[in-house]
Amino acid sequence: MRTFSYIFMGLSAICFAMPALAQGPAAAETNWVAITSGFAMAIASAVCGLAQARATAAAAEGLARNPAARPGIQLALILGLALIESLALYTLVIIFAKVK
Amino acid sequence: MQLLKRAEWLALVRAENLQMKDEQSSASRSETFYSGALDRIRVSMIVLAVLTMLAAWVTYGWHMTVGFAVGGTVSYLNFYWLKRVVNGMADRITKTQRRESVWAVVLRFLLRYFLIGMIAYAIVLVSPASLYGLLAGLFLPVAAIACEAGYEVYIAVARGL
Repeated sequence: MRTFSYIFMGLSAICFAMPALAQGPAAAETNWVAITSGFAMAIASAVCGLAQARATAAAAEGLARNPAARPGIQLALILGLALIESLALYTLVIIFAKVK
Repeated sequence: MQLLKRAEWLALVRAENLQMKDEQSSASRSETFYSGALDRIRVSMIVLAVLTMLAAWVTYGWHMTVGFAVGGTVSYLNFYWLKRVVNGMADRITKTQRRESVWAVVLRFLLRYFLIGMIAYAIVLVSPASLYGLLAGLFLPVAAIACEAGYEVYIAVARGL
């Protein structure tokens, strides 16, 4: 697990380093909408992933403690995951609407 | 006198039994009603997709309709696979007889996103005009869940389930 986190940290550092190296002397006008859209999508995906992880963990714990409550927990989990996923889709739609 | 008291007591016990049976049947009725929620959502998705496709055809033309149809199909498959993944996970946790491997569950979960991305990319390449229809189609489960929530509120108020 620690190795994976080191790999991902290294990859993210490379992603930040490449545009910095590619900058020319005469910088063009910055497209802030595209940049902020990228950050918005990243934040939305991260928060949705976190929310899905928490919902799944809570449901798994509930199922392990009380297997008889499976139908109710399963229904709530499916609906919760579908609605959490839709939040990332809202961000995607806004990005598509804003970035031409 | 004693017979009268005994008859009263028997009537009381019978009434309590009837009340308990009524409560049990009410609980089982509500359990049956709420267990059918996923199937109702599935049907709502299909009905909403057909209605919205007709409206999109009339209003925006066939580009948007095709995009919406693809988006609706993707979201329907996504919802179905989500249900299967959650079922597999619940099977593993509750240790029922039907058990799937952890990797199969995780791969299926990730494969959903990959497929959605591929289809969206193909739509963008083939017909960019259909993109908004595709995005609208991806919201089909949310609309179906909203319909189901409204229906459950109505049933709870009307029938007291």
